[in-house]
Amino acid sequence: MATWELQVFVGDQEAQEESVTLRVSGESHIGGVILKIVEEIKRKQDWSDHALWWEQKKMWLLQTHWTLDKYGILADARLHFGPQHRPVTLRLPNRRALRLRASFSQPLFRTVAAICRVLSIRHPEELSLLRAPDKKEKKKKDKEPEEEVFDLTKVVLAAGVAPAQFRGMPAHFSDSPETEACYRMLSLPQPPPDPAQLLRLPRPGSLADKTHLHSRWLDSSRCLMQQGVKPEDTLWLRFKYYSFFDLDPKADPVRLTQLYEQARWDLLLEEIDCTEEEMMVFAALQYHINKLALSGEQDDAAGGSGLDDLDAALNNLEVKLAGSASTDMLDSLTAIPELKDHLRIFRPRKLTLKGYRQYWVVFKETTLSYYKTQEEAPGDPIQQLHLKGCEVVPDVNVSGQKFCIKLLVPSPEGMSELYLRCQDEQQYAQWMAGCRLASKGRTMADSSYQSEVQGILAFLSLQRTGGGGGTGPANPQGPEASGEVLNPHGLVAPRFQRKLKAKQLTPRILEAHQNVAQLSLSEAKLRFIQAWQSLPDFGISYFIVRFKGSRRDEVLGIANNRLIRIDLAVGDVVKTWRFSNMRQWNVNWDIRQVAIEFDEHINVAFSCVSAGCRVLHEYIGGYIFLSTRERARGEDLDEDLFLQLTGGHEAF
Amino acid sequence: MEQTCEDIDQMFSNLLGEMDLLTQSLGVETLPPPMPDPPHTEFNYSVGFKDLNESLNALEDNDLDALMADLVADISEAEQRTIQAQKQASQHQPNTASQSSSFLGNGASLGYKANFTSTGISLYEDELPPPPADPVLDLPPPPPPPPEPLTQEEEEAQAKADKIKLALEKLKEAKVKKLVVKVHMNDNSTKSLMVDERQLARDVLDNLFEKTHFDYNLDWCLYEIYPELQIERIFEDHENVVEILSNWTRDTENKLLFLEKDEKYAVFKNPQNFYLANKGKKEGKETNEKMNAKNKEFLLEESFCGTSVIVPEIEGALYLKEDGKKSWKRRYFLLRASGIYYVPKGKTKTSRDLACFIQFENVNIYYGTQYRMKYKAPTDHCFVLKHPQIQKESQYIKHLCCDDARALNQWVTGIRIAKYGKTLYDNYQKALSRAGLASRWSSLGTVDPAAAAQTPSKGHTVSTVQPNGQISQPTHSVSRIFQEAQSHVEATKDKKPAISSYDAPAPPANNLKKSHLPPPPPQRRSSDVNSVSLMSPKPIMIPSKPSPQDDFPLPPPMGEAELPPPPPDCNEEPPNFVPPPPPTVSSADDFPLPPPPPPPPFQSTEPSKPPPAITKKPPMPPKRLENPGPAPGGASGEQDFMSDLMKALQKKRGNLS
Repeated sequence: MATWELQVFVGDQEAQEESVTLRVSGESHIGGVILKIVEEIKRKQDWSDHALWWEQKKMWLLQTHWTLDKYGILADARLHFGPQHRPVTLRLPNRRALRLRASFSQPLFRTVAAICRVLSIRHPEELSLLRAPDKKEKKKKDKEPEEEVFDLTKVVLAAGVAPAQFRGMPAHFSDSPETEACYRMLSLPQPPPDPAQLLRLPRPGSLADKTHLHSRWLDSSRCLMQQGVKPEDTLWLRFKYYSFFDLDPKADPVRLTQLYEQARWDLLLEEIDCTEEEMMVFAALQYHINKLALSGEQDDAAGGSGLDDLDAALNNLEVKLAGSASTDMLDSLTAIPELKDHLRIFRPRKLTLKGYRQYWVVFKETTLSYYKTQEEAPGDPIQQLHLKGCEVVPDVNVSGQKFCIKLLVPSPEGMSELYLRCQDEQQYAQWMAGCRLASKGRTMADSSYQSEVQGILAFLSLQRTGGGGGTGPANPQGPEASGEVLNPHGLVAPRFQRKLKAKQLTPRILEAHQNVAQLSLSEAKLRFIQAWQSLPDFGISYFIVRFKGSRRDEVLGIANNRLIRIDLAVGDVVKTWRFSNMRQWNVNWDIRQVAIEFDEHINVAFSCVSAGCRVLHEYIGGYIFLSTRERARGEDLDEDLFLQLTGGHEAF
Repeated sequence: MEQTCEDIDQMFSNLLGEMDLLTQSLGVETLPPPMPDPPHTEFNYSVGFKDLNESLNALEDNDLDALMADLVADISEAEQRTIQAQKQASQHQPNTASQSSSFLGNGASLGYKANFTSTGISLYEDELPPPPADPVLDLPPPPPPPPEPLTQEEEEAQAKADKIKLALEKLKEAKVKKLVVKVHMNDNSTKSLMVDERQLARDVLDNLFEKTHFDYNLDWCLYEIYPELQIERIFEDHENVVEILSNWTRDTENKLLFLEKDEKYAVFKNPQNFYLANKGKKEGKETNEKMNAKNKEFLLEESFCGTSVIVPEIEGALYLKEDGKKSWKRRYFLLRASGIYYVPKGKTKTSRDLACFIQFENVNIYYGTQYRMKYKAPTDHCFVLKHPQIQKESQYIKHLCCDDARALNQWVTGIRIAKYGKTLYDNYQKALSRAGLASRWSSLGTVDPAAAAQTPSKGHTVSTVQPNGQISQPTHSVSRIFQEAQSHVEATKDKKPAISSYDAPAPPANNLKKSHLPPPPPQRRSSDVNSVSLMSPKPIMIPSKPSPQDDFPLPPPMGEAELPPPPPDCNEEPPNFVPPPPPTVSSADDFPLPPPPPPPPFQSTEPSKPPPAITKKPPMPPKRLENPGPAPGGASGEQDFMSDLMKALQKKRGNLS
């Protein structure tokens, strides 16, 4: 039997590799070769994760029972013996960095699934990895302060077992304070970015710019090593397919948060456009989410608020029924708090120049009445307004000491407009809270009244300090940080920063905030994601392509249910094809052309310009795969199907 | 059960005592309790006080009802209890009198008074003294209680919680506002029915089907018309009817119609017309008009079942009526989930350039009719957005005009989807399952009349002939109702096991076996019946009742199916013929199947004249009261006793009111 010498390089970094020379034959099994290498090195360590990598062929020799002949390895083969799992730095959807060990030998699909398991993100098929853009490196070095990199490289998960929960987090996070901090980073929303920094970050200026991102997706059917990723490289982890299956606040704290973060950055960096009104809602939700996250409200997402209410009501009732003092009972049943004060009122009318005039205003239950003087109060009021169903709009300028409430009260005849002017923040907060509750048909006896008052005061204090915004949200801890250093410009996309001053922005965010102020943390995140999903341009990944028979570049948008042909210059939708009408699609790898056949013999073919046609192919196949999940139900991933749908012949 | 009631009663009589003390301490203003028609000012100072009055008032009946049930259960025990009850009643009597009178008088001051007296809807003041059937107290025999025994403490705690829940429910119940609504039919006739403030349009529709015996289909809807503004719209199934009607003014000409509108669920029948239409148009051909069912389903699932609902992309030039003028300006509008936007002059239709025209939170969408005449609109395809409270012409009403009917339909539907989101789809799903139920009913329609004849002897033979059909369908209705019940009254669910565990020790075991204790609720209604002559309290049936015996008003009797609907028949089958019908399912453990009831005394009037049975219907509850009695053969003796008892009770109530 002919034997020859085989050189193998051992080590996980190219620089530190030592070389070992073995005597092998064509009949040697890979497993035997590995054994020989280990014997040769005579070092005691855990070799279980090590495997052989064939550099020229760019492949792992993972079939240990195969012979060298079967693999076709000859003496000139450059073999490396190294660990299959190597550390990489992940840039998460929330833009934080995290080091962990990823498999360099398995198909990326499985690698991502393993990463998601460590991060406790369900449905890993929706995520994937991108190469980090390389250009930013130069400027970043001098400007950016050392950022905290979380480290999970030491975490090893037992295979096949669902991670158990321990102290409200997956057990593997509760090992050390560092990993606990890491879990907090993963599951809690990040503070808003510094507006100045936001302005510096690259934003797509055109549709063509939006296509760049997608050229960086890694190939799901090949392993990291094959795609030239090196240990310690930075990769981006992102939700790739915009089809989020079974999003459940209880089961998915990390997934929900990361999705929220991705949505937020999408909006802040203008990857997706929205209207001004929509931006205000997004800003209000961010503000609300931030506030809740900072106030340390544990997101118990019990969902049982209704039950809690009932319990509370029962407790109250119990107290009432048990209460021996009859007056107490009567009081508690009858007392509905009132507000009475001198306020200035302004009623805008046509052709009137009258300004604010002082009245005696009584606010009882959901009704606002005003009188000329306090003495006339028992009599008929000048006007009485039932606030149920009314619109309450703040008109506040803290620095100008202007605290007005604009009421738009519906009546059968139309809307009547009324401005209430309060003297100070305290008064304003009380009346404002009363008006808001009344507009929803609740009285000030409602349990949420006090928290509403506090919320308004908190927002006012934000306005007092807002606009300065120099400090940045560097240290989110501490009670005084909980909103005061918040700059509204960090909550909106830069184009609104340019359009609106912080002074103008804050009241509008405040106005939008009142509609979401009651949401819990996870509800607010979910609402944010829903609003994001409701945007017309949501979930479209853009590619520059050239259609067969056309001479100019056009844009192809791929969404979870359709393909969209878009005019590159104008941005108008030219044509839409739905996946549900799709018969089949083929890729001609030689001429990099994707050909798709739809029902009724509609054929479309295009070649890819901005990204590899693999990426496009994988996108289409991926969405088809995701649409099959609905029926299959269940957590198990049909990896083969995914690879079948997304892999090309190159992969096999 | 009666034990619970007594406990509650005790709680309330404590309260009552306290209130008496209070009224005394109020001094001058106070009137002596038994005065029948005092000025009511003294009660106006407190909402809570009034509620208590009402619930106490209701409880009085209930107390008697519970007693009644007990009597049915065991005669000898009953006799003793009557004495006791008489004592009790005599104790309570003065208070009761004052309370009921105060309630009557206070109707107006409570703010429950409906101002709607004259035209369109006429809403009569609801002064029926006893509150409507109580969702909790009316509970049928609880479903099988959880077998695991509770510890003493738990049991006590549970019992306490239950009582409180019950009391809470009572308090809520007492506040329920009711309107009598006149609904216009297709044939220009009208029907009046009572709607309570908890009822959704869906429930009212159910009542209307019950009253009219129209064939159920998805297109039926409640439809409001504002003759003055010339606008109209479909009530969504989930909307609260009383709330909407409360926005109408006293002298309104607005009308409420019961009719079929294809538009109601058009989007779910042909989603492609809304979701794919615009794209089809661009191609110049309407290829999308037809779509196979599977694709439709797929499209619906995609649009409505994701994390967020997809609003159809609708955009196009519309005419907007300018404020206060009769001129219409053409603008390019786009529908987004967040509202309607328009493209300002010289701008593009990209998101960043759009200006917001209106958001949907505070407005409803209406069709405008004959606007070409009224406002010189360019076409007659107009829609209107206005705050539900606005009833007169106002600058705050927005009028828009589309080029054609198709566009109008798309816009209105699109706006409804944007405004209501998933709710719309849920409504449709509920209506669908309702329709499925209805079709099953109608397929059985041929049998029903026979069953309706319902003389005890015949009834048996007839109903036993067709067990197959009978079984499946009541089971369905029950399960549906159970589902609803679960969502509606979570509290009751928690309560059930406890009540039955409560039940068990109190009466001797044989008591249960002998009596097949019926749910007390029917009795409650029977009490109502006696005091109400104008309107039947029945429309106020709450759909949340999980009682298999009680559920017959809910599923619409289809076709010829006349008043006595199948489920009761089903109950009347001799037990050995009944392959487990719902009652057994729900009450298998504690409550054996009620054996066939004796011929009800009121039966004769009942089957003959069903639908306008406002006054005829009431007899039914007493009938069911007797259901639990022993088998028909030996019923006579009991029955005499029963009718005596009934008379006695009625007499007593007569005294009270």
